[in-house]
Amino acid sequence: MSHHYIQFNDVHYRYPGGVEALCGVTFRITHGEKVALLGQNGAGKSTLLLHTDGLLLPASGEVNVGDVPVRKSTLKLIRRTVGLVFQNPDDQLFMPTVADDVAFGPLNMGLPPDEVKRRVDASLAAVGATELAGRPSFELSGGQKRAVAIATVIAMEPDILVMDEPSANLDTGARRRLLDILHGFGHTMLVATHDLDLALELCPRAIVLDRGRVVADGPTATLLANRQLMQSTGMDIPVSLSAYLDSLLQGIGGGEVGVEVGARILK
Amino acid sequence: MSIQRALITLNSLENGDRGLAVDSRFQVIVTVMYLVAVLSVPLADPGMLVWMFVYPIVMAEASGTGYGRVLVKSLWVLPLATVIGIFNPILDHTPAWHIWSVTVSAGWVTFISICLRGVLAVQAVLVLVYSTGFYTICTAMQRMGLPAVLTTQLLMVYRYISVLLQESLSMSRARAARGFGCSSYPLRLWGMMVGQLLLRSVERARRVHNAMLARGFDGALPAPEPKGLRAADWIYLAGWIAAFALLRFIDISGIFGNIIDPAS
Repeated sequence: MSHHYIQFNDVHYRYPGGVEALCGVTFRITHGEKVALLGQNGAGKSTLLLHTDGLLLPASGEVNVGDVPVRKSTLKLIRRTVGLVFQNPDDQLFMPTVADDVAFGPLNMGLPPDEVKRRVDASLAAVGATELAGRPSFELSGGQKRAVAIATVIAMEPDILVMDEPSANLDTGARRRLLDILHGFGHTMLVATHDLDLALELCPRAIVLDRGRVVADGPTATLLANRQLMQSTGMDIPVSLSAYLDSLLQGIGGGEVGVEVGARILK
Repeated sequence: MSIQRALITLNSLENGDRGLAVDSRFQVIVTVMYLVAVLSVPLADPGMLVWMFVYPIVMAEASGTGYGRVLVKSLWVLPLATVIGIFNPILDHTPAWHIWSVTVSAGWVTFISICLRGVLAVQAVLVLVYSTGFYTICTAMQRMGLPAVLTTQLLMVYRYISVLLQESLSMSRARAARGFGCSSYPLRLWGMMVGQLLLRSVERARRVHNAMLARGFDGALPAPEPKGLRAADWIYLAGWIAAFALLRFIDISGIFGNIIDPAS
């Protein structure tokens, strides 16, 4: 079961305007891993995610999904394997109704009508949006759009789920529901996010990008507790972790979250 | 009409009212037959065109769209029809009708015909789009054998209007928020805004296209398997074709009696 991995080998990408967005990115995400991709705006996170699905192809270097290199000739297979959830759900939802939108991918895969219906029902149920099936996408709230956007991707039953800022613009309730949904997935997962608390809770491993380069790769809690790394890459230690570290410094026992996180740090 | 309202209308047209349980391919065929019937009526006979209003009225009411909605929208075509036909009454003074003691020239008769044709054609298309939905129409045309490149282009152009409106709305709100009540701006500013609008909408369209590609889009619309044709579909098709033949070839006005005397 090692075929659901993503491998970046010295990947470089330069936009037509001349901006070098990725400068020799190398990492490997193995089967079933949940990995957070961190970094400030312009670090190259979205560019990197577009490479996983072949929407951008490297100027040099190689991206492999499983044993398949991402090339023009392999895009069909790659896009069946990798499900990409975009940053703005309004870009992802373009069909007349929610059900039509969720069915778009499976229909493009040429699946028979019964199977398409089964997948639409199952995907909407998985994100708790069954009752939205007949609604036009543009009428939904931000949280509902995000849930449906995820359903549109999981309907294709990808092996690897790649998400760009899944918690952006969500209120706390919608964010909590999203986290519950994502916790329930067993996919290999790569999540680009500025929501460091989400990264800490969802992803045991994190990769930190800075100006197109991987500057850190390791356990999320360890990286996020590293003040020097956080400052040099323009990020702040997440609130939950910060409170625990402060309490350690003051010699006071941490809270429930802190104890769990702290165990990882202390290792 | 505000941008917001235009956007809501456009989005509702996308899906249609779906008030008619008739195969969408047959709805497209009936609309095309209707347009052929309307356009084949001689310009000198606008009386026959008046009877053609039967189709949009019946269909708008049967689909739950409401004829009033269709009528109001269709009147937008009148300025265009006027531009096309305005020279007819100026150039053609041949007497055509006597209505009581008033003589109407052939130029005015053909002008009225052009306006009626325009309104009827737009009403037929509106009824189709309102009752069926633009996406369903495009997939129906694809299933009828039209090239995917044509139907997909049609849908993409339609979608692009929506993207353009959404971006216009964002820009318009941003401008209003910092406009301090100013409603008039120099031409140079408008020019810059139009340029920005183009760039933003192209960028947004690119992102939507990326989302489509990521879900396996290969240039053709994914159409669900068509359901089998039922007796009701065939009755709908045959009934309307018979009605169009009746309206086109039978002088119904003559049956009810004329108040208009053709000029000799």
